[in-house]
Amino acid sequence: MADIEVIDAEKRFGANHVIRKLNLHIRDGEFVVLLGPSGCGKTTTLRALAGLESIDSGEIRIKGRRVDHLPPQQRDTAFVFQLYSLYPHLTSYDNIAFPLRAAGRHEAEVKKQVTDVARVLRIEHLLAKRPSALAGGDLQRVTIGRALVRRPEAMLMDEPIGALDAKLREEMRAELRRLHVENGSTTVYVTHDQVEAMSMADRIGIMNDGVLQQYDSPTTVYDTPANLFVAQFVGSPIMNVVDCRCQAGAMGTEVRLAGMVDPFVLPASAAAALAGHSSEALALGIRPEAIGVALSAAAGHVQARVHLIEPLGAYDIVDIAVGDTTLRARTPSQFVRAQGDAVWIRLDHARTHFFDKTSGRRLKAGS
Amino acid sequence: MAHVSLRQVSKRFGAVNAIRELSLDIRDREFFVLLGPTGAGKSTTLRCIAGLEQPEAGDVCIAEQRVNDWSAAQRDVALVFQQYSLYPNYTVRENLAFPLKSRLRNFTPAQIEERVAKAAATVRITHLLERRTDRLSGGEMQRVSIGRAIVREPRVFLMDEPLSNLDAKLRELLRAELKGLQQGLATTLIFVTHDQVEAMTMGDRIGLMNKGSLVQVGTPHEIYNRPKNSFVASFVGTPAINMFDVRVDLAAGRATDGALTFDLSEATRHTLSSLALPADGCVRIGVRPEDVRLVDSGGMAGSLYGAEHHGAEIVAIVQSGSHMLRATIPADSRVAVNQPLQFSFVQDKLHFFHPLTGENLRH
Repeated sequence: MADIEVIDAEKRFGANHVIRKLNLHIRDGEFVVLLGPSGCGKTTTLRALAGLESIDSGEIRIKGRRVDHLPPQQRDTAFVFQLYSLYPHLTSYDNIAFPLRAAGRHEAEVKKQVTDVARVLRIEHLLAKRPSALAGGDLQRVTIGRALVRRPEAMLMDEPIGALDAKLREEMRAELRRLHVENGSTTVYVTHDQVEAMSMADRIGIMNDGVLQQYDSPTTVYDTPANLFVAQFVGSPIMNVVDCRCQAGAMGTEVRLAGMVDPFVLPASAAAALAGHSSEALALGIRPEAIGVALSAAAGHVQARVHLIEPLGAYDIVDIAVGDTTLRARTPSQFVRAQGDAVWIRLDHARTHFFDKTSGRRLKAGS
Repeated sequence: MAHVSLRQVSKRFGAVNAIRELSLDIRDREFFVLLGPTGAGKSTTLRCIAGLEQPEAGDVCIAEQRVNDWSAAQRDVALVFQQYSLYPNYTVRENLAFPLKSRLRNFTPAQIEERVAKAAATVRITHLLERRTDRLSGGEMQRVSIGRAIVREPRVFLMDEPLSNLDAKLRELLRAELKGLQQGLATTLIFVTHDQVEAMTMGDRIGLMNKGSLVQVGTPHEIYNRPKNSFVASFVGTPAINMFDVRVDLAAGRATDGALTFDLSEATRHTLSSLALPADGCVRIGVRPEDVRLVDSGGMAGSLYGAEHHGAEIVAIVQSGSHMLRATIPADSRVAVNQPLQFSFVQDKLHFFHPLTGENLRH
């Protein structure tokens, strides 16, 4: 078991600065997901942990031991790629046994370890089959089996289920997470899919442009994003981010979106964060489920109009026009009847965020 | 008016029946989505309407006229593909003007300019008009492709996975834009996708295809809540619907598969007694994750296998015997892996399928 530390790591490819001053501590037994768009540096980071890529400066430590100068095989990590890099002429059994045999283990031990891993992954019935006879999900299970069988200090996974269809991804997500619960190995997992990150990680490290934007639990990242990038990268439907003007009023802080006459009124405390920020530089952020929608006039609500209804079966996403702004709200299925209908909306002040548009940073209440 | 209809259309490629005797009516000004897995025949159907494929049998009609023998250009439809297929060395303006410059159309330069300006404003690319298309982002390129389709003011738009190459955030934005655009233009739009979220959120109606045939045509609400068979039920909705086979004992008011047993509500018994159940009483139950509830007492016993944070909610994966059931629970629920728990079903939301044919027993 091992913790992993990345200290001040930097990496350039020519003029391209792919990792900038990265500091990351992955605890022993933790499942960390590195999340970000393509080109953000997440895969380079993972490859640097594995030793497949060098870093220009900084340190990488596994279990307290500095490894950034060591070749991959001396780091005791196992790497799982998106493409199932199995040997096509070998059976699943022989594929999984390969790293053990390469290390010169006895056949009796090989057999025991392969059988153990196959049981955990529920692939015992596939051991005699060759890769060409396996479906996508099973192939990836065998690939993971081959990585696990060595009992590495750390598992490093690069978009391991990205190539599978939606339903299989849903299943594999649960199984990979479960595997981690049972097996407890330190895991670093790279993906561009925020659903995978949210649903599997103990902590998510969100990267953009080589910089770590936030490193926190899924709920913290979702509920209190550090900046606009994180706010809009995590969560579906996307968080609403709109221009706003705020001013103190008799009942609290009055918030107007573009083109609004009657304001939303938030408690003065909710707007404490705004002190010292000019209105031009402010953006309001609110997740669709934090917008309250009523079908008749109600206290604290502002009149608006239904622009578009997107049914998702379990619930609807409703685009609501208020002033010149469109907000997306999440409502129960068929709650709003028709496009063009009048509705009344309010903002849940506890889940209303303000961002500085220049720096992108979320303004914290009371700071 | 551009009502599109297919009558008994068949198309084969070698030994493969890409579509078989397909009949479909798409209403004027409808946003119609053809949804299905890879190889279902949805793109072939679209290409038969476009005139890019010639069916072996059947009629393709646009605005009540049989167009089988018409060329693609004569059909007056506009196609948008997943690949942008723009002219890379030309500006956005030139790309938009291109379809209008055909001698057949006979537009004056002033007319062309007016139409280009209008289309560019509609898809919000006016600021990009002088830019070369190889300098655009993916989302901008797809807007230009859509603009180039709009500029001709065709009778029908045909779109084949136009959003599939874009990242998740952009897809979400363009989804709403495209639906708003279609309503504004009031033109029939036929949209092909394998993504059930796109189909549900954009379609006035969805035609779900599998293996060359239409399985069900209906509104998103009908497809989700009244699936014709277990294929439809599994194909739409995320997380996927839970399904398992049980033996129903109406006299005892119970359903069981040995491991999992639950009492049938009075209403459920009544429903089941009115259906033609298989002789052995075996029924495939379908229950959506939002209709599985965690309860304090009186439910079925299970344990928490895993919990996925999805932000607005948590998807709990409940293990009960050999079953893994997904339940959508509130985001602030406190649950721990391996904890014992109890769950029940919202019985008026249960679906009953024939365990062999998969047909919905209520249809």
